[in-house]
Amino acid sequence: MQLTVKLFAFFRDGRFKEEGREYPAGTKVGEIVADLGIDPDEVGVVMINSLQSSLKATVAEGDNLAIFPVIGGG
Amino acid sequence: MDGLRRFIRYKAADGCIALIDELAAAAAFEQPLAEVEEQVLRLGIMPRRYMRNCLSCDQQLRLLRARICVIGCGGLGGSVADILTRTGVGYLRLIDPDSFEEHNLNRQRFATVATLSQPKVQAARTALMAINPAVNIDAVQAEFCETDVLAAEVVVDALDSAEKRLILAAFCTKYGRSLVHGAVREWYGQVGIATAANNLVAGLYPGAVQESATPSPPQIIAPTVAVIAGMQAAETCKLLLGLPSVLSSSWLSCNLLDCEYELIPDSPSIP
Repeated sequence: MQLTVKLFAFFRDGRFKEEGREYPAGTKVGEIVADLGIDPDEVGVVMINSLQSSLKATVAEGDNLAIFPVIGGG
Repeated sequence: MDGLRRFIRYKAADGCIALIDELAAAAAFEQPLAEVEEQVLRLGIMPRRYMRNCLSCDQQLRLLRARICVIGCGGLGGSVADILTRTGVGYLRLIDPDSFEEHNLNRQRFATVATLSQPKVQAARTALMAINPAVNIDAVQAEFCETDVLAAEVVVDALDSAEKRLILAAFCTKYGRSLVHGAVREWYGQVGIATAANNLVAGLYPGAVQESATPSPPQIIAPTVAVIAGMQAAETCKLLLGLPSVLSSSWLSCNLLDCEYELIPDSPSIP
């Protein structure tokens, strides 16, 4: 299945800003994060089609997935 | 008080009064400068230091009577405190257990060669009193506690720990205080207003276990601090003045490297 993945902040470093990507049906957000080489502990907000979601959620054909890192400094 | 008011009216010119005359009034009538400023604004006279603030005397009086707690007095907290002091917020409670170190000099407002190894809150208080002596500043060199939240009507989150942010948000929810959240890392930052309704901080930090994921302090460049602190200060003033803000129902993701500023509306979670 095809979906659009959008990365934010330093998650773009060495990766991409927005890309159409192919994954098997039933793929979970956490598996996409792993496929992209992102440390899951660094993941903050995850959104599927503009709704807040989680690493455990399953994506579907045509979904827009947005992945933000934790920003923690003060 | 009548004598003080007559003195103020006598010294005022073109709807404004100079700081030197406010200080003279405070000395002559043995009143704190904050009280003089209260009387000045109640008479519809603008202290000259605020004449370019684009606020009415009533709005300036509202800021003077406001009580703000800034939790964390490093990069974000120091800059927020500086802006709120210049804008004329009447009471600031600054909370931070740490002292300035050399690696703070790149971005923290009150870190100077002279203040290295000094408690951050004490150095900040000294500098802020020199900027605006009408502002009352409590400097508390300690971790924050519930009392700090209770002491203020708006709380500013300028912490550097996800775990502490979650605790602070829980205190603010418990006592019904608005929490102006801000965070920075490298060229990136975020800002939003956490309320009991939107549960913002829990959404941004889905697991406090992430604390251990970044054992080393994050890299932060000064322009990011300036942008996010400026937004936090603006949102704080808007809350105090009763002005509406889109950040009450969304949060802003800022990317200074790509010049991208994305407003993320609050949304219900999906499994």
